Amino acid sequence: MNRSSLARHQEPAPDSDRRAANVVSFANGLPGFEACRGFVLLAAEHGGLQYLTSVEGPSASFLVVDPRRVQPGYRCQLSDADRHALRVADDETLLWLSLVTVETDGTVAVNLRAPIVINPAQMLGQQVIPYESLYPLRHVLLKG
Amino acid sequence: MLVFTRRRHDAIVIGDGIEVRVLRIGRDGVRLGVVAPIHVPVHRSEIYAQICEANRRAANGATDSTVLAEILKPQ
Repeated sequence: MNRSSLARHQEPAPDSDRRAANVVSFANGLPGFEACRGFVLLAAEHGGLQYLTSVEGPSASFLVVDPRRVQPGYRCQLSDADRHALRVADDETLLWLSLVTVETDGTVAVNLRAPIVINPAQMLGQQVIPYESLYPLRHVLLKG
Repeated sequence: MLVFTRRRHDAIVIGDGIEVRVLRIGRDGVRLGVVAPIHVPVHRSEIYAQICEANRRAANGATDSTVLAEILKPQ
């Protein structure tokens, strides 16, 4: 992938162009990145992992992993507001992703508390903040 | 900042369709009920701040996928 080619503060593209470019719309951005309203998923170099990369608004890129690969049996309840925001119908398959942090000392941690949920049928996404969660914000996979 | 004195069961209304009501006043805390339209996100501010901070750390960290791929490799 070539992240250097992504210009900073790009303007939103028209809807038809966004679909063609596989841009997932985040109506509220992400907490801390509220101006990032469009993201694409890019394949990472290794392990079937992906990058969630901003293509509208400020540049930002996150290494992401399906939380079920990290925590078998992972489950998280969507609220009515989440389902409304993602326009979830009953039978849709949703994509669940957790943000990975690789800290300066080499510690690798995964955010299981607030997953990114994407509805591929609508190309809508948002970071879900469950009212109650069984999982930590910083689930350490490897100590640096 | 607007400052109000409210008693138990009193509420304030914000804009169109947002209501914050005092449900219970305890020694250590006040229990609030919030009614808001479904498209208005409502979060406890310290949780939202923690997630902002965690997201910034994730974006600023190394982005090499090698280490994570190694950890997740089937044994």
